[in-house]
Amino acid sequence: MPRLSAPFATVNVMSLEGLEDPLRFSKKAPPCAVVIYGANGDLTKRKLMPALYRLAFEGRLAPGFAVVGVSRTAMSNEEFRARMRESVMKFLEDSPFDEQLWISFEQGLTYVAGDVGVPESYGVLASHLASVTANRQTDGNVLFYLSTQPSQYAQIAEGLGSVGLNRAPAGNPEAWRRIVIEKPFGHDLVSAGVLNSRLQAVFNERDIYRIDHYLGKETVQNIMAFRFGNGIFEPLWNRTYVDHVQITAAESIGVEGRGAYYQEAGALRDMIQNHLLQVLATVAMEPAASFTSDAVRDERAKLLRAIRIMRPDQVADNAVAGQYGPGRAGSEQVPGFRQEKGVDPHASTDTYAAVTFLVDNWRWSGVPFYIRTGKALPKRVTEIAIQFRTAPLAMFRKATAGAEAIPNVLILRIQPEEGISLRFASKRPGSGMQIRPVSMDFNYGSSFGERSPSAYETLLLDAITGDATLYTRQDMVDASWTAVQPILDYWHMQKFDFPNYAAGSWGPAASDEMLRRWGHEWRRP
Amino acid sequence: MSCEIIKPDRILKELGELWSDTAKPEVESNGDGLLRACAMTLISFVDDEEDPMALGETLALLMREHPSRSIVVRLREGEDFLESRVLAQCWKPFGHRKQICCEQVELTATMNHLQDVASVVGPLAVPDLPRLILLRSARVVRAGALRKILPLGDKIIVDSARPGAPGFGELGALLDSGQIAGDLAWTRITELRALIAHLLGDTVPKSITIEYAGREAGPETRYLEAWLAGGLPETAVRIRGAGGEGNGWPAVIRIDETTVIRPGDGCAEIEMGHLKEHVSLGTGKDDELLNAELKIVVHDPVFERALNRITA
Repeated sequence: MPRLSAPFATVNVMSLEGLEDPLRFSKKAPPCAVVIYGANGDLTKRKLMPALYRLAFEGRLAPGFAVVGVSRTAMSNEEFRARMRESVMKFLEDSPFDEQLWISFEQGLTYVAGDVGVPESYGVLASHLASVTANRQTDGNVLFYLSTQPSQYAQIAEGLGSVGLNRAPAGNPEAWRRIVIEKPFGHDLVSAGVLNSRLQAVFNERDIYRIDHYLGKETVQNIMAFRFGNGIFEPLWNRTYVDHVQITAAESIGVEGRGAYYQEAGALRDMIQNHLLQVLATVAMEPAASFTSDAVRDERAKLLRAIRIMRPDQVADNAVAGQYGPGRAGSEQVPGFRQEKGVDPHASTDTYAAVTFLVDNWRWSGVPFYIRTGKALPKRVTEIAIQFRTAPLAMFRKATAGAEAIPNVLILRIQPEEGISLRFASKRPGSGMQIRPVSMDFNYGSSFGERSPSAYETLLLDAITGDATLYTRQDMVDASWTAVQPILDYWHMQKFDFPNYAAGSWGPAASDEMLRRWGHEWRRP
Repeated sequence: MSCEIIKPDRILKELGELWSDTAKPEVESNGDGLLRACAMTLISFVDDEEDPMALGETLALLMREHPSRSIVVRLREGEDFLESRVLAQCWKPFGHRKQICCEQVELTATMNHLQDVASVVGPLAVPDLPRLILLRSARVVRAGALRKILPLGDKIIVDSARPGAPGFGELGALLDSGQIAGDLAWTRITELRALIAHLLGDTVPKSITIEYAGREAGPETRYLEAWLAGGLPETAVRIRGAGGEGNGWPAVIRIDETTVIRPGDGCAEIEMGHLKEHVSLGTGKDDELLNAELKIVVHDPVFERALNRITA
């Protein structure tokens, strides 16, 4: 029987058909316990616990819902609750804090101190979960959320498996066990494969949820609604009409305290390999036959596999690495990356990466997809710009001062002002035929004033209800590593002359040259 | 008494001028400008006695979630009065530079001008976007003029729990004629219904008893009973008075005597065996209910089934 759910939801939790109301009821979680490894960490405090509280606030959690925090720090349940309360009050966005609701919610919060490297800690957790299952009526369902160092993922999964926490308890075959991990999923193609083998030795692939919070963003999800819910755009969405696509994810800040982590990762690994290739896949994929988890992910995976793999001799022309030096952001003097706290003064980390990807399928053959991302750029903006081919005949050449006809550009803005704009040419009022570009704007905030759920609310609820549509599957991880691996290998062999762009600028000149070779130029968002 | 000649073209011109005037200070100060937002036309029929501040506040809150061209028709007793004015509702969303503005047209009229009002309101509706009617005027119902205003909108929203509102019979007749309708009394129990469905999961209970406070069951209790009885044909669903003062709202819901839900003011207490939980059910305020109802501009089969069950 289908579960009561929003019209697009594809969850399969049982409910009574006669009581369903898909027009009005929102997706709700079945009884379960969420075990958070790294419960004392930043992600838990800033994102996970506020998201869970917000789900409780909206009545989306089942009565008896439980959260078990696990980390090395010794603390009592009361101390854990007090810390979580403080975090929720501090980091809850766009929502009131309801004292009475918190009192009810915190009854379900418990804490287990445990070192992931100590095998006995998993037995302690298993006993604790048995009592949680009985006391909180969670039906034996458990979601393990690993908010730890990525190097601990496999070890924790194996530890859970060693005490049987990876499978339904005896006598309760309906219970489910799922595991959520955060990116990075490996640091290259080989390590991703090793991690995957170790995880899959313990959990079934269908129970492994690889979170990419970009896919949980409302505006990223809206790309699919925009493409496949409207009749007029899809016929234009191909090589015949699209000239090229630009995907930009710019940060105006530097690494700000994440220097130590970031210098190991770099922009290509931190953003392009995961978030931005997933966005590219969402923009370019074929329509799925149905809006179900595997159907959508199959199409995304197919697209990622269609990305042309660069030969080593093609990398220099199609990928640009950059690192910011000192510069000015507005009126503020900003240090260079190598001057940031915790960063090696000789680090050759890419804080900027720009890549030209080609997709070898019938729809996109020959259309370049440019992706760029960077730190310390002039503004914070994430957007996708689809530039269409110009009109076949430049009728108004005189009116555009001899320039080529003005191309139409469709811009899908992901942040900060979520919305969609279409640039087209219009006649200026007055005599003569003066043409200038104008913009037709849709602004999310002005058409839908309602609060958008945070990406973590969406993704946590999806994982609890067993909806993996917005999660990354292993074949997608493999395909995206395969696409960036030649670039990583090539860059590894290079000695870069860093820094090559000033903080507060739009990146290295080589990035502009990369597009110029195709006859294009970067937008200034 | 004043009685203007009111033409839609004039009001539309005034709206145009309003935008120029509102935007002027922003332009002159090189500000970030205004965003004129509109996702629907909301036509509210109210009686003149209704507190304009309270209504204004509700509409202002509603505009944030459903930016609309809002047309408020205030109906009064007496003879020959017809007046209009236009105004803008602007706000700056937190963290945004640009102001968002919606436009509002207010028409004040005596009942003898209801037909004129209809011919003014029609052309003022924004083309191609949903048109919704909020009926809070008892005068329209008393005058039997409900059907005169129906062609103005794609959906009519009433609140059968309000004095003077259309009853189940009139609502049923509207549905029979193919009209899309919504009732805030039904909207008021959405969270409670969702909670019951969530608690039941896939378990069919043997019995459900709804106890209401007050002398007779209110429309919310009647809707809840109809929905449960329709959705759970094998369950014995009954309602009974719990005595005491009250407006007929469901006060206690007992499911198989093992689960007890006590809906309160914006929340509910649940007892399931030894577990006791507090859950939020929303504020139940008009703006929240309308917000939910404005999202649905198609026939709502679950609501219609429940109403049909009551009127059958």
